[in-house]
Amino acid sequence: MTGSKDFRIGQIYITALNEKMPDAVLDTSWQTDNQVTVTVKLNSLPDAVATLYYEHDGWLSTMVGNDERPLNGNYGLYYVLSMEGAEKCHVIVHAEIPEDSPEFPSVTPKVPAAVWYEREVRDMLGLQPIGLPDERRLVLPDDWPEGLYPLRKDTMDYRFRPQPTTDNETYKFVNDSKVETTVVPLGPLHITSDEPGHFRLFVDGEDIIDADYRMFYVHRGMEKLAETRMGYNEVTFLADRVCGICGYAHSVAYASSVENALGIQVPARGQAIRAILLETERLHSHLLNLGLVCHFTGFDSGFMQFFRVREKTMTLAELLTGARKTYAMNLIGGVRRDILAEQRLTTLKLIGELRGEVKRLVDMLLSTPNFGGRVNGIGRLDPKIARDYSPVGPVVRGSGHRRDTRADHPFAGYKLVDMPVHTQTGCDVLSRTLIRVEEFFDSIAIIEKLLSDTPTGPILTEDFAYVPHKFALGYTEAPRGEDMHWSMTGDNQKLYRWRCRASTYNNWPVLRYMLRGNTISDAPLIVGSIDPCYSCTDRVTIVDVKKARAKTVSYKEMERYCRERSDSPLK
Amino acid sequence: MLKFLKEVLRVGEATQKYPFAPAEICEGFRGRPEHDPIRCIACAACTSACPANALSMKTDADAGTRTWAINYGQCVFCGRCEESCPTGAISLTKDFELAVARKDDLIKRAVFKLAYCRSCGAPFAAAKEVEYVGRILASYATSPEEAERIRANAEVCPECKRKLDVEQIARSNPVQQMETAR
Repeated sequence: MTGSKDFRIGQIYITALNEKMPDAVLDTSWQTDNQVTVTVKLNSLPDAVATLYYEHDGWLSTMVGNDERPLNGNYGLYYVLSMEGAEKCHVIVHAEIPEDSPEFPSVTPKVPAAVWYEREVRDMLGLQPIGLPDERRLVLPDDWPEGLYPLRKDTMDYRFRPQPTTDNETYKFVNDSKVETTVVPLGPLHITSDEPGHFRLFVDGEDIIDADYRMFYVHRGMEKLAETRMGYNEVTFLADRVCGICGYAHSVAYASSVENALGIQVPARGQAIRAILLETERLHSHLLNLGLVCHFTGFDSGFMQFFRVREKTMTLAELLTGARKTYAMNLIGGVRRDILAEQRLTTLKLIGELRGEVKRLVDMLLSTPNFGGRVNGIGRLDPKIARDYSPVGPVVRGSGHRRDTRADHPFAGYKLVDMPVHTQTGCDVLSRTLIRVEEFFDSIAIIEKLLSDTPTGPILTEDFAYVPHKFALGYTEAPRGEDMHWSMTGDNQKLYRWRCRASTYNNWPVLRYMLRGNTISDAPLIVGSIDPCYSCTDRVTIVDVKKARAKTVSYKEMERYCRERSDSPLK
Repeated sequence: MLKFLKEVLRVGEATQKYPFAPAEICEGFRGRPEHDPIRCIACAACTSACPANALSMKTDADAGTRTWAINYGQCVFCGRCEESCPTGAISLTKDFELAVARKDDLIKRAVFKLAYCRSCGAPFAAAKEVEYVGRILASYATSPEEAERIRANAEVCPECKRKLDVEQIARSNPVQQMETAR
């Protein structure tokens, strides 16, 4: 849908691009009033993205590669920038890559935040970023055949599993240290964990000099699955399963991407209910992380108290949605279940209890004598590095950047509330923890506000038509930060392309800098402070650079060392 | 430390007795979908609404049966089947204890007879669905004779319906009618 002429947010950025780079802009189109896609010449792509990023307060939200050869003969690249300066909106820098020469100038040398996206688009679509310093695969395993690009439309069925091409791990872990280090590998696999990752810590004695890690051991191929097997309405239920903790945030982000693309106006009551449920999800997620902070600092009785209280938030989810997790509440056009008077009263009662309980527990945690020493100044994320890599959520807010999708680009029911944004300047584990504490109480206030004056009327609209090949963004602020979805409709009641980017994806690249300069006993605590899924990190390899010796330490042992800080596993 | 001890004493025991006492479940909890084969007309609306492909419908023309099945191992308990069912034959219960000793026990089936076309004799839909459609359409009839004709018409397969329609139009000789009208 093209926004009306007199209400187009983002025009100033287009004007700025045109002034700085005459003739680079080929086309502009607004998908909604505050989403504009600007097509630039392929060679101008890095400059256009860098200009918006560094000169106009842009942050890289996601990048979408799309095989559009059946539509127009080209591949498409879409760099999504969240503009948080003078005019808050999303500017999507789009460039077309001809079929016969699948390469493009890399944006990463100018904007480091693009590094994972460009590695991924090379893996999945075979588009070569020229000038990208990191030549390693990101998503595909070492034994995946060369030249088989899963997201190209003409390569493979979603059920196809190619024969492994090698038995050896060929991935090179990067170590930038100037001194000799020891390698500490963490991970990769435990047969029961759903999201393994492999961490390699390069240490000198007990000090982490550098770190590298590898994810995507269990890539589920959800984007391809959604595009080929499911109808566009069914994908809301698949999106619920992107994450076991903040799945509803993905479901809302996906649903709103299609609603934005098709110009669907979701009824105000449906929007408010979405916001209430998103905050319910944040309540339980933040309590989980606060509990784990206790656990990693060796304060297990605190962990149990936080988890006891967290049970109330699970009851709240069950009461409002009928399930403790994977709420299954969204359809394109609104939500499936209303909040009735009785549920409203029970909710208000429950969150009232939560406010008091959590306040007591937080006081208790912060007054525990050795807690401060354990988290203060640990896992520092330099604000400059944060600026370069576009991390999201409590991670970026803990380093002093005021970024919150709920406030910057209000969606769902957040238009109805005054959204406070908390920042901290400590840049450490403590800052990130304190932000979660503050946001917990905000969530309670938001739920109270939305329940006290909920808009009336329907919760779902079915008054819309499916139009082929429309695309737009949908976004939410999950407990871990911004989730960004980009969807393009197909011509068969399915999606042509679904690009789903979870919040932690943007936080992984900065973790390396957070680990540097700390001791290995702090590693689990630092990894925990970005709040990833814990099954990720099963074992660690520790490499001592001076003694040139490698040792694999089980994750349990690392965790024990983090909590007790005695009997180093390296000795 | 004192704060912590005070909190522990205030809270007391938090552990629930489950499974030795029943777990407390909220009203409206979405658990195992229960299928009522008496009400079901095997129309397959639920199988196309199911996002997880937990519901399936297989037709065996030789045996003259259509088999509806649910795999509780695949079910995501979203309740789309309940929303799409025209006869209220499937609804979610509060049951969440679904563990079984054998995987096959997670699958439940219901077998329905097929209806054979009055005209060509080929099976084309579940007998109960044809009967259901015929009954609803016949309720709009103004006379018992018309109702009977509508019911009979519902028992004709789509293929034959098209053919019969064309033949009927041909019999009514549209060319002559048009000429007369002119």
